[in-house]
Amino acid sequence: MNLTIPFDPAIRILILAAVVFNVVLILTYAERKVLGHIQQRLGPMRTGFHGILQAPADAVKLMFKEDLTPNSADRLVYQLAPFLVFVPIFMMFITIPITATLVVQNLDLGLFYLVAFSSLHIVGLLMAGWGSNNKYALLGGARSAAQLISYELPLAFAVMGVVLLTGTLNLTTIVHNQALVPLIVLQPLGFVIFLITSLAEMGRTPFDIPMAESEVVGGPWVEYSGMRWAIFFLGEYASLFASCALIVVLYLGGWMVPFAGGLDPITSTVLGAAWFLSKTMLLVFFVFWLRGTLPRLRIDQLMAFAWKMLIPFSFLNLILTAWALVYGDELPSLLPFIHPAGSWLIVAGSVATVMFAYAVHRQTRRTA
Amino acid sequence: MTTPTTGFQTVDMHINVGPQHPATHGVFRMVLQVDGERIVDCDPYIGYLHRGFEKLSENEGWHDVIVHLDRTDYISQFNNELCYLLAIEKMLGVEAPERAQYARIILSELNRIVSHMMFYGAFGADVGAITPFLYAFRERERLQRLFESVSGARLMHFYFRAGGLKEDLPSGFEAEVRGMLPTIAAGLDECDRLLSQNEIFLSRTVGVGKFTAQEAIAYGCSGPVLRASGVAEDVRRSNPYSLYPTLDFEVPVGKQGDCFDRYWVRVQEMRESLKIVQQCLDRMPAEGSIRTPVPRYPFMRVEAGEIYFHTENPRGDYGVYIISKGGTEPYRMRLRSPSFSNLMALKPMLRNAYLADAVVILGSLDIVLGEVDR
Amino acid sequence: MIGVLRGLVQTWKTHWRKRVTVQYPDERLPLQPRYMGFPGLMWDAEHDEPFCTGCQVCMRHCPTQCMTVTMMDNPKFADGTSKRRKIIDYFSINQSRCIACSICVEVCNFEAIEMTHIFEKANYYPDVVVDLPDLLQMSADHRAHKDTMPSRETRDQL
Repeated sequence: MNLTIPFDPAIRILILAAVVFNVVLILTYAERKVLGHIQQRLGPMRTGFHGILQAPADAVKLMFKEDLTPNSADRLVYQLAPFLVFVPIFMMFITIPITATLVVQNLDLGLFYLVAFSSLHIVGLLMAGWGSNNKYALLGGARSAAQLISYELPLAFAVMGVVLLTGTLNLTTIVHNQALVPLIVLQPLGFVIFLITSLAEMGRTPFDIPMAESEVVGGPWVEYSGMRWAIFFLGEYASLFASCALIVVLYLGGWMVPFAGGLDPITSTVLGAAWFLSKTMLLVFFVFWLRGTLPRLRIDQLMAFAWKMLIPFSFLNLILTAWALVYGDELPSLLPFIHPAGSWLIVAGSVATVMFAYAVHRQTRRTA
Repeated sequence: MTTPTTGFQTVDMHINVGPQHPATHGVFRMVLQVDGERIVDCDPYIGYLHRGFEKLSENEGWHDVIVHLDRTDYISQFNNELCYLLAIEKMLGVEAPERAQYARIILSELNRIVSHMMFYGAFGADVGAITPFLYAFRERERLQRLFESVSGARLMHFYFRAGGLKEDLPSGFEAEVRGMLPTIAAGLDECDRLLSQNEIFLSRTVGVGKFTAQEAIAYGCSGPVLRASGVAEDVRRSNPYSLYPTLDFEVPVGKQGDCFDRYWVRVQEMRESLKIVQQCLDRMPAEGSIRTPVPRYPFMRVEAGEIYFHTENPRGDYGVYIISKGGTEPYRMRLRSPSFSNLMALKPMLRNAYLADAVVILGSLDIVLGEVDR
Repeated sequence: MIGVLRGLVQTWKTHWRKRVTVQYPDERLPLQPRYMGFPGLMWDAEHDEPFCTGCQVCMRHCPTQCMTVTMMDNPKFADGTSKRRKIIDYFSINQSRCIACSICVEVCNFEAIEMTHIFEKANYYPDVVVDLPDLLQMSADHRAHKDTMPSRETRDQL
């Protein structure tokens, strides 16, 4: 599959940087509006029509703010940390296909690459926590390391289900495999686990423990100001968008518009991108909605949830998928018009999802 | 665990929380000694908001004191005023007219709702949810506007006077409150739906910061903190004042004295307050005097003597101790502030809790620093 | 799980509801008639002089000692055009200390001071100490916009 964007990779990455920056601006504005409306407020209203210029205004303000380094900070570590958070997250965008043609670099090991890079920004957060020489920052850094590493496992195992089904790590091929049925139908449990772990990877409510304002006052970010802080911020929202886009790619069918075969390439690209972005934005809205509703978990509960709930169930998901792939075809189909293995996957996945929901329910009730 | 003889030795980390920390609800400072995320010990420091109110009162007229009382517990002003003025009235040997008494109770109970709403919002923010704060303030705002129409100020009302009220309730007050009660109840239900059954909220609060009834009594806790531990102690019942004996309401109690019970008791109390307001509205005479004549304000003297009077504030047992030498000002004036006593329970509650629980436990005590430091 | 879903339903419903906040400087909530802003001094149009005689009772009872009041002989009394023997000479209120408690209104024997509806005093060059002409102006402005006299109608009952 050849790329049709007529630029060489360096220029494509520059374009991507501009796009990511603008996406972050839109997301911050969207989050403030959604949260405002959830709380019966108006959200930003002053700058521009309904405050749409609020995000650029904030960006300009942050650029002109003084970049402070505490006297006792470990200068190099402190000043390097924001970039080590942002760059891995930015790198994730490189291989996320918006449509088959709108992708910076289609990698054969795309999924592997993504999972690897999605956990790399822990280093930056730890460095920020350590380099600030602040106890809140240190606690926040330690918390984020513990959280992200624990959630990396179920994330990877959930993704393995997709890899088993599609037989590839190439994201474009994965989407092409979903031309008929999005993988959420075949992998309901995988989807749920991936969604939860993605929330944790993004550090969003209810897993915003590293940055908890009421406990560690911003965690690793506490000492940062000006542009360095803005880069953290950029990283957080970029990671939010990247994770949501990844979910769309892996489980929700990517750009595959139903019943839209036979269009000319430009129309289908535009249509596909719009379809992809609208699905992503719906997921983003869901994340904001969760933020407007849920309290925060405690760190030990978070870890218990990862190790006692998510990891066993992600194993279960993997085993079920493998079993259905190997033995499913020898069994009679459970659902009409559906391939036997597929039907077994759907049924077993749904049952496992219900089991998972019940287990979570039990768990939370027991602690209650 | 044996301590390694060579190499690394671990020490507990001291974390300074406050006085500017967002979760300390004011200017309270605590130094937490933590082992990882677990709290080993806690040193609370108070006094950042000390304004010498008790001493100030000795140089100000009997009514000037009310202005300062508004500012002690700055979330439940009407309740503070009520306590002080009932004490003064007892010393003067006067009693407010019936209409004024009902008006006072209505305003005090609405103020209790305002105060508990503030708790609800702040507690929600403590456990990490951002929306409860705004929901609570939405309801609070309705009542604040009502208070503004009554007293002219949103917070520092200065409305109750010895022998009655400053001026009559504004026309249409009763109808307005009547119209507002269902709205508040509906808002309360919304707040309830948002948080009370949320599993994450439950797992953050249930079993956290447990305090037995014996401990609570030993530490001098009062109000919702004490009632959450299962002691049905309410000054409105045990030592009734004003018209409370004639009113029908329940005293909600908790079971195990954890953060959730303290939260739940307060939510229930808001409903009870709505009930009390409803009853008062039904019984309040539509017309009538609102003030028993007492000497005009700057010249008012109180006979020599002393009195301790306590009432049930939103935060607990609020008491004033006044000594008069017959002058136009109190000779001595002391407060028993419930926040202060409740705050003393923080240290035992925090032991062995997680760092994140410290915030929740502090929030569940619902302290007002203006009242702790006075 | 169920509690979380209930919470989500609640926030979803609220999301579509009418907003309760207003955009403050463009849109204002009405002040209540009894609203207590900063105190202002009233003008006796009949005698063309302030009501205030400078008796200092408000100054003495102010809980924050934010007032400075001095008294002088009233020149109009000598002319016979006024019945006030003494008149206010200098009156200033430090508005950064004023807590808008209305004690001054309550203790005033001449009903010369009132709580205006003025509360927006923030500007880039705050002039926190307000003296007599400004105080009179504040009250005049207040009266021009609102004919409400907080806490005055019931004064006789007190």
